[in-house]
Amino acid sequence: MTSTTNKSPAGSFKVLNPAEARILEAIADRIFPATETPGAVEAGAVNYVDQALAGDYGRFRSLYRNGLRAVDRHAHEKFAGKFAELKDVEKDGVLSDFESGRVQSFKNAADFFDTVRCHILEGIFCEPHYGGNRDLIGWHLVGFPGQQYGYPDAYINKPVDLEPVATVEPPLEKK
Amino acid sequence: MTPAASVADVCIVGVGATGSILAKELASAGLKVVGLERGPAPRLEDYAVRDSIKFIARPEQLDWVKHEPTTSRAKLGQTAELRYRTSPLNVLGGALLHWTGQVSRYLPGDFKLYTNEIQSGNAERAGADLTGYDVIDWPLTYDDLESHYEKFEWEFGVSGRAGMNPFAGPRKRGYPLPPLRHSAKMELFAEACSKLGYHPYDTPAGILSQPYRPPAPFDTRIEERPACVYCGHCNFYGCHIHAKAAALYTTIPVAIETGNFDLKTSCKVFHIDTDGSGKATGVHYFDPDGQAQEQRARVVILCAFVFESVRLLLMSKTDDGSFANGLANSSGYVGRNILAHGDVRAMGLYDDFIVNGFIGPGSAAMRIDDFNGNNFDHTGLGFIRGGTIGTSGDGTPITRMDVVPPDIPTWGKAYKEYFTRYYTRSFDLNMQPETLPHKANRVDLDPRHRDRWGIPLPRVTFDFHENEHRLQEFMAGVGEKIMRATGASKVWTERKATPNRWAGGTRMGADPKNSIVNEYCQTHDVPNLFIVGASVFPTMSGYPPTATVAALSYRTAEYILRQKQWFA
Repeated sequence: MTSTTNKSPAGSFKVLNPAEARILEAIADRIFPATETPGAVEAGAVNYVDQALAGDYGRFRSLYRNGLRAVDRHAHEKFAGKFAELKDVEKDGVLSDFESGRVQSFKNAADFFDTVRCHILEGIFCEPHYGGNRDLIGWHLVGFPGQQYGYPDAYINKPVDLEPVATVEPPLEKK
Repeated sequence: MTPAASVADVCIVGVGATGSILAKELASAGLKVVGLERGPAPRLEDYAVRDSIKFIARPEQLDWVKHEPTTSRAKLGQTAELRYRTSPLNVLGGALLHWTGQVSRYLPGDFKLYTNEIQSGNAERAGADLTGYDVIDWPLTYDDLESHYEKFEWEFGVSGRAGMNPFAGPRKRGYPLPPLRHSAKMELFAEACSKLGYHPYDTPAGILSQPYRPPAPFDTRIEERPACVYCGHCNFYGCHIHAKAAALYTTIPVAIETGNFDLKTSCKVFHIDTDGSGKATGVHYFDPDGQAQEQRARVVILCAFVFESVRLLLMSKTDDGSFANGLANSSGYVGRNILAHGDVRAMGLYDDFIVNGFIGPGSAAMRIDDFNGNNFDHTGLGFIRGGTIGTSGDGTPITRMDVVPPDIPTWGKAYKEYFTRYYTRSFDLNMQPETLPHKANRVDLDPRHRDRWGIPLPRVTFDFHENEHRLQEFMAGVGEKIMRATGASKVWTERKATPNRWAGGTRMGADPKNSIVNEYCQTHDVPNLFIVGASVFPTMSGYPPTATVAALSYRTAEYILRQKQWFA
């Protein structure tokens, strides 16, 4: 097993082991890649997934465990390499096979792909106290101003000129 | 089990929209009312947070959802699977806590489907195939409910403009508040509809457009609430400033203030008790510690939503005698003919227009009724009935991340480019086509799955049939046409309907042989047992049920208060 400690924060995860985190990070980067703007990895989506698996999404732990292993296995069968070390186009080929359920050795492939895709996107756009959307990267990317108290203007056909905000407080100022 | 407490005048099972209205009305008139709510009383920090992971991504984790699942299947004979639902919200105040707030009175014609559609020959002219359907008239009319609709609108606070919708039934009084501020979606939709010759109107909204407290002659004990700030975290969220019409901070505090309302939360009713004379005597419930308790009452009112009201009636069957098939079920119709809208959608993207659809609330919407009910000529269309069409598509990125045109991949660089460009440049039209009562659609007791008390879960069997398929297809087509007329650069539709807004299961009717309750929501079989809620709808409309459910609650309360001899 290759150590990834100096490449990613994998060591700090609660549920994912370093090898799993590395595969998931590589998947996240293909689902919502960094381009001229940051992507899922920079937004902390893997951290979001780990935190979720440690709590509300505990029921998905074995799907992740088996699925991530199956991704590496399929990468080996198809391209004779570890998933995280494949070229982007090869990674996309592996993931497309999962998406369409064409992975003979893993019958939950499509379910796994849908689940991971959904969770990674959640990790980009969540309220940041769930461990993703780091520095509100996700909200900045799409132009969502976050948990604004309200909007004094309807902003019809003009960009919303408000910095995104995040809060965990219920803002009602009543008794 | 502790000995039975004293006999209440009224025991209300389920304190949501209906239960809270009944509690307020009956307790205010001096009746001693006990309210048993299976859910907890939510705290501000539980519901007033604008948290899209909590309410949109993981609703099955909510305390108010996870303990009361149903099972679900499409067809009789299939094995039903567990399904967590957010429509019966198991919390004090019920689903009004997180509803969208679309307050529409039914059309006068919506109450007479048998007369208007079948007897009149309309279905035949349309060429509709109604095999398997079981359509009856409501035993009441729009006029019977008019003053009760009004009471709901003025007590909870509704924003709208009377006279805009040419298809609406007559009303004696306008709305208490002007419409909500117009959003880009509303403007685009209204312009397109006017161009096409349709009749757009502001959706009457249970969201305050201005600070509001009900004036006399309505209930002035209800506290003033502030105007909506358009935060956009609305549908499926509790309101952080209480601008949304919810029972929790309107009817419930007033009911408690009377001193006649004994509210017990986290109390799960599991049996309705009857005596040898065929009358209800009270209920049994599990208290918060899991101990079985008895509550005796002169009148029992089930306000537990479609699934639970049916389940309780079936659970309360007696070994022999008139309730052997379940309580109030001499007709065999308990659980039958459940209904749900089959929503379809049309989506639009704009290259040259910024929509900012996340600015709420969801019920700040424009709508047309040109294709609702029987408002258009159905000759040769192959179906009867219709639905409303209105703007939607509010929501955070979590809500919108799966709204992707069919020619764009759902992941990768192309998806990222799409979503980052169009999140602020898109919205949807939502079509709410009505569903006809069908004999195969029902709720019964699941033979495999039980809840944490060991009680069989309600099993929902529901599918759309021929009339719905044709109507949904038609409605999607109209939506697509309107969306194109808004000038959208790209338009696509979601034509596979998902069931939304449940009703039916204990329907009202004039004939005890094919219905459960009469026009006052009183069961035909048990004179002191009432069922109030969408479950009494024999047919639905293109509108959401809430306004009609609330109107029925006020009307039932009036009826019960007229029966003075019951409480002497």
